[in-house]
Amino acid sequence: MPRSYPALGAALIGLSFVTLAPAKDLSFVTMDTVWSYAASNQPLEAKAALDDVETVDERTKTLAEAVLAMARPPLSEGDWAKIEPMLAQLAQGDDEIAAQALYLQARMHQVQKTTPDYARAEALYDELARRWPESHWAQLGFVKLGFVKLFANDAAAPRARIAAAEVLLAMLTEPALRRDLQLQIGWAALEYGFSLDDVLPHLIAADAVGGLMGITPEDLVIQIGELSFRAGHLAQAKHYFERFFAEFPTSTRIYNVRQRMNELEAALAAKGDGA
Amino acid sequence: MRKFALPVFVLGYVVAVWWVFTKSTPIVDERDVTIRIAHWQIELGPPDGIDAVIKRYEELNPRVRVKQVMVPGPVYRQWMRANFSGDTAPDIVEYGAWLDGLADLPVRYFDPLTEDLLEPNPYNQGTVLEGVPWLKTFADELSEQRLNSPEPGQYYCVTLSRGSQRLFCNRNLLREITGREEPPADFEEMRELFRQAHAYGEKRGRAVYPFAGSRDNVYWLMSFYMRGVTMKVGQRIDENGYMTVYPRDLMWSFLNGRWSYQEPDVKAGLALLAELSEQMKPGYMQFVRDEAVRQFLNGDALFLFAGTWEATSLRRLADFPVDALRSPQPAKDDPVVGSAIIGHVSDGDNVTGFGFYLNKRTPHRKEAVDFLRFLTSYEGIKLFTDHSGWPPSVRDVPMSEEAASALSPDDGFAYGGPNIAVGGATRTVFERHLHALTGPGGSVDKFAQLMDAEMREPVREALAIEQRAARWAMLPQDTRVVAMGQLERSHPDDAATELRRERLEAAQNLSEARALQIARQLRDLAARQNE
Repeated sequence: MPRSYPALGAALIGLSFVTLAPAKDLSFVTMDTVWSYAASNQPLEAKAALDDVETVDERTKTLAEAVLAMARPPLSEGDWAKIEPMLAQLAQGDDEIAAQALYLQARMHQVQKTTPDYARAEALYDELARRWPESHWAQLGFVKLGFVKLFANDAAAPRARIAAAEVLLAMLTEPALRRDLQLQIGWAALEYGFSLDDVLPHLIAADAVGGLMGITPEDLVIQIGELSFRAGHLAQAKHYFERFFAEFPTSTRIYNVRQRMNELEAALAAKGDGA
Repeated sequence: MRKFALPVFVLGYVVAVWWVFTKSTPIVDERDVTIRIAHWQIELGPPDGIDAVIKRYEELNPRVRVKQVMVPGPVYRQWMRANFSGDTAPDIVEYGAWLDGLADLPVRYFDPLTEDLLEPNPYNQGTVLEGVPWLKTFADELSEQRLNSPEPGQYYCVTLSRGSQRLFCNRNLLREITGREEPPADFEEMRELFRQAHAYGEKRGRAVYPFAGSRDNVYWLMSFYMRGVTMKVGQRIDENGYMTVYPRDLMWSFLNGRWSYQEPDVKAGLALLAELSEQMKPGYMQFVRDEAVRQFLNGDALFLFAGTWEATSLRRLADFPVDALRSPQPAKDDPVVGSAIIGHVSDGDNVTGFGFYLNKRTPHRKEAVDFLRFLTSYEGIKLFTDHSGWPPSVRDVPMSEEAASALSPDDGFAYGGPNIAVGGATRTVFERHLHALTGPGGSVDKFAQLMDAEMREPVREALAIEQRAARWAMLPQDTRVVAMGQLERSHPDDAATELRRERLEAAQNLSEARALQIARQLRDLAARQNE
């Protein structure tokens, strides 16, 4: 037997495995796959999926590349030097992708880079609002800019910070986004020592929209009840404490609130206003 | 031979019918699917509980094999990181939001259970929980997830148990010391018991200490008693009106001069800690938890203060009856701390723990979720509690008296006021200087001065870490929000995607504003220091 036969046999067997192996099925890989991975914080999988997508327009692909390049912060200045031109180029257009790209460019200057450039971010948010005033991304930009006005504008006095955020609040039409900024205005006013009567309307308005996440809804209902109690608005305090008992029966603060409710009811009874 | 054929056939048929209706498992152990469940609760108890659940589950589900993977706590973080990175992680894993350095894992590797939790648990059919949404069957409706969910609004885990802090008592030794088995009813009786224990030790020629001491147990004990004394200060510094004080607010209020260790209430608490310190074997700060357990099991200490996770181990290892007592607390007329007391402090809450998360990449999601449903069903959790001794996370499930002793009624305040540690690395400051309170020449004043002087930098650093954590939670969300925006564009009528984007934006807004707010506080602090 020639010495090459075993090698030839092995090669043929190997080849048969190659031919028998199922071909990789790429038919299901679409841009939805890419965005789903990106939305789930899986940028590497998203990048692999993007490489497998067969038909995608150039602008969408460029946006995806920029998004995935940004997905694992922190990035170096060199990375930003590559990403920003991509975003700026996309922002030249006049579509949803352009608005998203401009929004991301503003975010890059506002929070993503190690040293924020708030002035540049504000200019980009202004451009976003001017070009696509109805866009969700412009609305979201107002919220983000509002946070800067509230907490990063050290040169302004507290009342001026709140006033600047309130100007942005007036431009918000999406209820959930109004809620998010209004809540922070209320909390900032509380920290800056404003009177409880200045603070409470913001908190009550934010709570009324609903849809807050995590522990915040529970915090907010207790907070409105307790601050109302401290401000002497006893009936309002009672309303919110009763809501707390109904909506958060498993809270770890039940005992604390129950004790406060006892004080509140005693105070109401003393005023002859127990009902 | 023929006359035996029919009886043998009938007998075989009867055995087969019996097997099918009682066991439902194949005679040859071939199963299509294997799922693995990993955790670090390898003390005595929990592994037995999970084994019992697995055994019953495999009887009911002949296609599925479940393997329990037990990983020691000290290596759990590294083990998780390596296995998720290498795509070899089990289908179900225990995780806790407090595990350092793993904050990026949940959203990357775990799959939310929110939709599943809104449906009734099918394994609860025929029980008091039949028809109840799975989420609502948990005693606390998974409240920890409201506080720490990797993605606010989503539920990522189901829990197995709950617990509290207890004073474990050697009942035989208590009888020998006091002549009775009734534990002290209040803190004054505790003080009397301290004296009796010391006298008993002298009489028998071998010391008896009221408390088993180690660095860990002392920290738990002193934190608990300090918490009861500083609630009034906690109420005062709760300027936000949350009726509790979050660690970030406690840290800021300390740095901002809203409280210090010179407060009369805080000093009273320190005097109480000095008194407690005298009830332990000298040198306790050199020991770790195992030494305290050894002192307790050897009959050298009457009590061991610890979390109820120790209960099953202590009961199985001790050759005497172990009672889990609620710690007697100082009252308003206490001579040392009475003026600071507003009432009982909570010694446990209904928050459930021992949380299990679903691996996003499991090839057997359906089977893994099904196992989690059984594990936390009325039958499953009852098996767990009966075999582990740990109380169940699910409501309305009967439990032994011993397991029930780990649960506290809702009868105490839960304010988080000043304490011997206030987050971050501040516990080491307490440990480093405790001798100034309890050692020769030590005093409350000396210790309080040291704490005020030495705490500032670690507290500032801990607050800076909070700021960075909020910032890091927020940064990756920008690209996720835009990706969801693109998904919405291709499915404009998909309400679920729109809701998910809204929730993500809301969560990001909360983290972002918090990061900015704390950054402003830190700048404010730096500016004042530079003045």
